[in-house]
Amino acid sequence: SESSAPPAPVCILVDSRCISAGVDLMTSLRQRHAATVQVCSLDGNYFIVSNRMAVARHSQSDLAAVQNRKQLVERGKRLQGLFERVCFLVEKDRSKPGEISRLFQRSRYYDSTLAGLVRTGVRLLWSDGEEDSAHLLVDLARLEQRKGQGICAPLEVKGQHSEQALQMYLNLPSVSYVHALNLSHNFRSISHFFNSPVEAIQKGGCMSSSRAEEIYRFLHYSCDTSLMTAAHSGKTS
Amino acid sequence: MEDQRTAALNAVPPCGHVLSSEKWRNSSLVQSLRGVNVLFESELGVADFHLPNRSCALYVSECDIVAGNSYKRKLVRYRNAGSSFQELVVVENTRLSQQYFSAVQKFVVLELGLTVLPVSGQTEAAQLIAQIVHSSSRENPFRRTVSPRILDPLVLAVVQKVPGVGGVKALALLQKFSSLQQLSNATSSELEPVVGRAAAQHIHSFFNRSTGQ
Repeated sequence: SESSAPPAPVCILVDSRCISAGVDLMTSLRQRHAATVQVCSLDGNYFIVSNRMAVARHSQSDLAAVQNRKQLVERGKRLQGLFERVCFLVEKDRSKPGEISRLFQRSRYYDSTLAGLVRTGVRLLWSDGEEDSAHLLVDLARLEQRKGQGICAPLEVKGQHSEQALQMYLNLPSVSYVHALNLSHNFRSISHFFNSPVEAIQKGGCMSSSRAEEIYRFLHYSCDTSLMTAAHSGKTS
Repeated sequence: MEDQRTAALNAVPPCGHVLSSEKWRNSSLVQSLRGVNVLFESELGVADFHLPNRSCALYVSECDIVAGNSYKRKLVRYRNAGSSFQELVVVENTRLSQQYFSAVQKFVVLELGLTVLPVSGQTEAAQLIAQIVHSSSRENPFRRTVSPRILDPLVLAVVQKVPGVGGVKALALLQKFSSLQQLSNATSSELEPVVGRAAAQHIHSFFNRSTGQ
């Protein structure tokens, strides 16, 4: 309830690319909502609000532009590969001070984009602007926290070796930044993690069992080096 | 009778059709539905429309929102109907209702876990519903198809993340220890013939050193 003690601060991971396009949003997250915000290098312009949820921010005109379709589709698919839940935060286009706000013209194309996104299970949230977006991000992170999915691993990786291990984990297929943080924190060494059974990977990575299975299979996958010699010499030549 | 009612509740309209609740028969929404065939049904339950692809829609009007909280009860009943459909909520976001929009969104999306689609009125809603119907009979570009990946180059890339190990060493290591798990268990003396003593010790300690919790 509202009157009880202030809830624990929420953790949000932010891609470094989000900053320039959302200075007010970042300020609001930190100052108004007292959220713990860690800027890191995610592979493209999105927020991580829990162990399983990513939020990508789009302006309404982004979604409405035909030339963005390919990029939008790839982004949606990529995020759905890394996260159990993907949310698109659709923000009203900003009008410059003094400018009469342009009325957003809804097109058939825009509606079909929405239909496609909804059908693949991408969640949509609608925002009036950066301030509103910050609010929604915090609401989502808090909701996920209540469901036991909040980001709880230490956000900063200390020391060169831990940083190198993190980079290795990030190269595993289907491992997001937050999974990698959880793995670095919950396994005492890389070898310990590589030798763990599926259940331990699932628990230590705070991830779904299917993801843990996929990682387990990858770690135990026997390479056929004859194939790779060809691929490798092709790449270096 | 009971059976008939459940049948209607779970009815999926055929391709290119919308199943509309009887009360929408003379609405401007239904009249502006272009290129979509509308079938009327009086037993749809709380939902206003059933769409192909197992989704349904409830329309929350500006009036509902401004008038107060009774629309919330309707939304809860809609959610609790427990249908196997994807439940969409089309919300009228107008000059009058926009001050309430964020509260409505919070309730529908964050509390009930349903999808909100804002529209400016019934005409826009009709356009949106028509697109949902049309796109349900087309290939969805956003659908993620999981194609089997070739893992070998991915494994090679991971091995190259060991400091000091480039393409050549990584390949040599995988020729001897074919999986990441096996490689991480190799002792220094097992690694030595493949990459030399210094690298062998380095690799062994990389895999076994504490990642500093």
